[in-house]
Amino acid sequence: MATTKETSRDRWDTIHKNGPFPLKLFLETKLEKKANLLAPIDRYNDAAIEIQRLLSEALDNNEGFRSIGSKWSMSSIAHHKDRMHFSAYMNLKFEISEDEMHSDSSFQRENVYLFQCGNQIKELSQYLENRGKSLKTTGASNGQTIAGCISTGVHGSAIDVGSVQDYVVGLNLITGPHPEDIVYLERHTKPALSDVLPTKMNAKIIRNDGLFNAALVGLGSFGFIHGVVIEAEDAFLLQRYVRKIKKETALKLAETLDFANSKFKIPTELDDNGKGKRPYHYKVFVNPYGKEKEYVIEAIYKKPYDPLYKAKYGDPIPFMKEFVYRDLIYLLVKISQRFPKAIPKFIKALNKTIMPEEKSGGVKKDIIGKLSEIFWDAGYQGRAFACSFGVDHRDARKALNVLTKLTRDEGPVPGIFAMRFVKKSEGLLAFTKFPYTCMVEIDGIQWKKSKKLMSLAEYATRMIEVLQENNIPFTIHWGKNANWEFPNLAEHMYGADIKQWKEYRSALLSEEMALVFSNGFIKKLGLSNFDVAAPEDLIASL
Amino acid sequence: MKAMKLCIALLLMCCLVSCYSVRLKVSNGQAEPQDNEREDALSGLYVRELDTIIKVKTTTDEYPINIRDCESGALHTVQIKNTLGGILLYVATFGSKRKVKVTYVCLKDPNL
Repeated sequence: MATTKETSRDRWDTIHKNGPFPLKLFLETKLEKKANLLAPIDRYNDAAIEIQRLLSEALDNNEGFRSIGSKWSMSSIAHHKDRMHFSAYMNLKFEISEDEMHSDSSFQRENVYLFQCGNQIKELSQYLENRGKSLKTTGASNGQTIAGCISTGVHGSAIDVGSVQDYVVGLNLITGPHPEDIVYLERHTKPALSDVLPTKMNAKIIRNDGLFNAALVGLGSFGFIHGVVIEAEDAFLLQRYVRKIKKETALKLAETLDFANSKFKIPTELDDNGKGKRPYHYKVFVNPYGKEKEYVIEAIYKKPYDPLYKAKYGDPIPFMKEFVYRDLIYLLVKISQRFPKAIPKFIKALNKTIMPEEKSGGVKKDIIGKLSEIFWDAGYQGRAFACSFGVDHRDARKALNVLTKLTRDEGPVPGIFAMRFVKKSEGLLAFTKFPYTCMVEIDGIQWKKSKKLMSLAEYATRMIEVLQENNIPFTIHWGKNANWEFPNLAEHMYGADIKQWKEYRSALLSEEMALVFSNGFIKKLGLSNFDVAAPEDLIASL
Repeated sequence: MKAMKLCIALLLMCCLVSCYSVRLKVSNGQAEPQDNEREDALSGLYVRELDTIIKVKTTTDEYPINIRDCESGALHTVQIKNTLGGILLYVATFGSKRKVKVTYVCLKDPNL
């Protein structure tokens, strides 16, 4: 049997120390040993029984239950005051056989995999690389679990790929303690698996686009995500360039994403007509206090896989560790940890700072590596905060101006802005909801309110207010800092989709289990309400 | 004289606790995670420590120190800490006593 270690606790915290939050019981489940239960599917089903036992206990005690992965979210989305479950050791991996593929599937069997919830991005990348495959994108780092990524909408800046949830094609959820509470969801218009594997999982199969898209970014509240079916792709390489370009050029690119007609050109990344190729990834770094006329940008281009790339171009990992823009905020953290009272002065110094170009041994270095190498270990970087707003990329300049002006005029705030760009997600509550979403984000170090510095809570509130005052439609990254109690916030961001999401959730979960899977975070947002009149046909298999 | 003794004692104490550490880490493996409140480079990882003095006799060879608690059978990170006290112990005992302070993180069992 899979076993769960139960520990009484009085508090819990995120990896970035955004809490602490109160807690009663911490649970950690480990799989049955291979030697005792050889077949992976038996170990998987055995774990499902254990999760159902834990859900039953929570239910019997009138307590809530929330599963966590790597606790990278800075908001309280992962927190529950009653029972928190650490799932990172539930990391089985499955290839899909021919008979397990749906006959109408448009996916290639070799690209489809089932991963248990606790698999972390780094181990998935390694597993896939050993098979000549790759994830399509990551959250620009590698420590999160796959279930955590999709529950909160983790994204990188892969313009035409999307977020992590956008290559998920199937979900195995455990919605309660009863046998019929194990379900397998996928889109009816894009089926992936035949009934063979879900039957082995003892899962009820529901093929339904609407339900699947609602559950996809489920905020940890659509049941326990036990398994995730993903579509991978053939291994590829990424070539990364960091350049300084004129602000106007960088912002025009942000608004248009028209790389073909931009003044920004990299000589080695032009098409046959001399036009700029469209990069896989585009990111703009913005020092809100700087007066320089250029922005640092990061452009990454996709290349065919070459097994000799390390011999030809060198090992990318030492360079990624060294380069400033991999995590510029690291420098801020280190300095501010040592001299917390110097934060205002340090920010002032940023006024004069001209962001240096990345160099290795004095030579400008463009890096080539696999996805997992370009976005390598992030590691712990101190007590951090991050606020991240999604806007239509056509509003990118306007949103950036509004937010940086706020930061200068009412701040300072110890952080640096960036803009990343992500294709629209089909997830009903995905914050990447615009055709192309520009994520305008500020990352920095936590600070204490003083005469010179407003609090993070005040800053987060003002960010929402100024975007509303300027009529810029926006979303907020579910895993980042924000004033989540801002009046009518969820409806403002998602409109009628909120009602629909709650209806799907109410149709899938029983009322008592909806309560178990609700936490303070979704209650604050008004997302936990149960709709007893939710139509049954919402969860019909189509 | 008393002050001098005190100074020597303080100097000796400083020497004994002064140390350096070296951290080795595999680049292509997933470390064992743990929900903890560490605030260092090993935050979020299941860190184990080995702090002992090994005795090497003429008739027995203590090498290697067996690590039995990695379920994956592999190490992800090893941090070796050395102190002047440890070096002095080694020299004073002609190598028969060796202070070992190792912090390590196992590789997460990939469950393949």
